[in-house]
Amino acid sequence: MPKIPVEQLKPGMKLARPLENASGMVLMAEGTELTEARISKIENMGIDSVYIDGPSRPARPKEELLAALEERFSKVGNSPPMALIKKAVKEHIEAMYG
Amino acid sequence: MANMDPKALRSRVENISTIPTIPSVLKQLSAIIENPKISLNEISHFVSQDPALTTKILQMVNSALYGFPGRISSVNHAVMLLGLNVVKGLLLSVSVFEIMHKAMIGLREHSIGVAIASKVLGRKKGLKEPEEVFVAGLLHDVGKVILTLAWPEEYEKTVKDAEAAGIAIFDAERSHFSETHAAVAGWLAEKWHFPRKLCECIANHHRPQVSTLAPLETAIVHTADVIVKARGIGYSGDRLVPGVNPGAWETLGLSEADLREILKELEDSVEQTEEEFRA
Repeated sequence: MPKIPVEQLKPGMKLARPLENASGMVLMAEGTELTEARISKIENMGIDSVYIDGPSRPARPKEELLAALEERFSKVGNSPPMALIKKAVKEHIEAMYG
Repeated sequence: MANMDPKALRSRVENISTIPTIPSVLKQLSAIIENPKISLNEISHFVSQDPALTTKILQMVNSALYGFPGRISSVNHAVMLLGLNVVKGLLLSVSVFEIMHKAMIGLREHSIGVAIASKVLGRKKGLKEPEEVFVAGLLHDVGKVILTLAWPEEYEKTVKDAEAAGIAIFDAERSHFSETHAAVAGWLAEKWHFPRKLCECIANHHRPQVSTLAPLETAIVHTADVIVKARGIGYSGDRLVPGVNPGAWETLGLSEADLREILKELEDSVEQTEEEFRA
């Protein structure tokens, strides 16, 4: 789940973690869908970023991650379980880029 | 050093308090945990004298990945909920994390990843105490830290040899030290009186086929290690994905959908955990 700066929040995003004040009181529950009003409320509370549902977009380009994946698997051979693991990881990486 | 006597190696490892580079909190904790009759009160007392350790252990059990977010307020409470063995394992892990990060950058992230993947696998396979394999995952590579601290130059050479030859770190360890980090961690787990099943799955995480007491748990930690390396989370001495043991793979019977689910949970938890445990 990505941690998104408040200025990049958009209506429709969902909180991946409850929003709490300094004393631990829950202000918005996990799963709350953001609206314009809720976003400005968060801004007014002086919070700079919140956890949002969904995969984080990795900092490195997709090609680089996929090349590193090939490199990691370069010595292991292609037995059915390893092929399945590699396929699952590859699809998992590709899905992170949407 | 290629023909290092395994007995000498073991005795040096078991006397970790004589290794000067071992952090003092780990030495003290190890001395307490070595006592087989250690009581819950003694552990709580020791931890309560060390505010940094208290904070770290409570942070860990209260993190979202552990399932009790914000609800565990004391070490006593943690032991009641999680059991003495799990708390012992968590204490040793948090006291080793900082040095782990210095000994091998990325090993902490790798260990947390294997712990999480083990726990998810444990839950899937219906283990009664998935926390135990979580602990085994956290500690499975502690042998690398001990080898680095006790023989810094030799271990650095081992890592370089593995990289240069394109072989797995445990094969390079065998030729430099006559034993692997898995054996080292297994000796320590025994010394710390962890249940035999837990010791076995730590000691055999690279050869799950020899596990007799805990074949399922060992298959879990072994496969978790492969998955975490396949995903490239952290660093553990080499960048190569080791082949999964066919017997262990069969024991777990994972489908592609299972793998996808594990990868997803791993991604979410590792991200959170890294933030929470940044030393």
